Amino acid sequence: MAHQAHSYHMVDPSPWPIFGAAAALLTTSGLIMWFHYNTSTLLMAGLLSMLLVMLQWWRDVIRESTFQGHHTPTVQKGLRYGMILFITSEVFFFLGFFWAFFHSSLAPTPELGGQWPPTGINPLNPLDVPLLNTAILLASGVTVTWAHHSITEGNRKQAIHALTLTIALGLYFTALQAMEYHETSFSIADSIYGSTFFVATGFHGLHVIIGSSFLTVCLLRLIKFHFTSNHHFGFEAAAWYWHFVDIVWLFLYMSMYWWGS
Amino acid sequence: MAAAAAHEGGGARLWKTLSFVVALPAVGVCMLNCYLKAQHKHERPEFIRYAHLRIRTKPFPWGDGNKTLFHNPHTNALPTGYEDEN
Repeated sequence: MAHQAHSYHMVDPSPWPIFGAAAALLTTSGLIMWFHYNTSTLLMAGLLSMLLVMLQWWRDVIRESTFQGHHTPTVQKGLRYGMILFITSEVFFFLGFFWAFFHSSLAPTPELGGQWPPTGINPLNPLDVPLLNTAILLASGVTVTWAHHSITEGNRKQAIHALTLTIALGLYFTALQAMEYHETSFSIADSIYGSTFFVATGFHGLHVIIGSSFLTVCLLRLIKFHFTSNHHFGFEAAAWYWHFVDIVWLFLYMSMYWWGS
Repeated sequence: MAAAAAHEGGGARLWKTLSFVVALPAVGVCMLNCYLKAQHKHERPEFIRYAHLRIRTKPFPWGDGNKTLFHNPHTNALPTGYEDEN
């Protein structure tokens, strides 16, 4: 068997990238079919194939790293760069929605009654559930840090407890936000206020769900002994993503919930 | 709102302590605050047919196309008014 004379990972041929592209095509065209032609079959096919590609691609990454040992420090460094670049791109994604919010709220038009919040909008009290949600996400940032230090120090039981607590807090946030969405007196169709509020908080909520899922996979891997005390990049990536989600919420809270009320 | 952290050398024990002494009690206090606030009933604002609210440029792709995804008949009016008042 040949050995490589370098520390990089030359990945075996894989069908997941092209299948992922196909899934993206099915999903986007499925959205069009659903919006304009009132049929959701293509969209369901797209979302299902997207899910299957993600599960199998990331399963393969775990096989290549944990079980086959391909993730040398060099490879890990590349993955760190990759995750940082990805999170940076997500920052820009949210920046766009913040731009839209400030564009409309700093100079409210006459159609809105020349004020922000617009006439007829009763915003949420920022000191009510939104404050609780802020405390929840901040607390989850503390617990995920506890989990990380526990992993580094080789304390399995504490790591499992801390990570479980983190995920529970994330789920609690999601449940509270869903309840808030159901209880607000304003909807997404209520002027640009509703549009900016629900698109920004909605995408944030989606990222909380993604982050919670990522952390849950890490918990399962932690329980199955995949991590060592000095090699656990999957967990670090999840923790970075989670902190990012927390910080986006803090900006949402300060600008839309607090300043914008 | 965050309390000043002790400048120790880090470590799981520090973050565990912060979790149970600062972070989780803060969540508890906020939960209590929400519970107390929920004790007062709030009046539903009267329906005024503003043109900039309840916008319907095209039907929603679900249900009858007239209700938002998280529609609440008690707190959300339709373009024609609250459902339970007509």
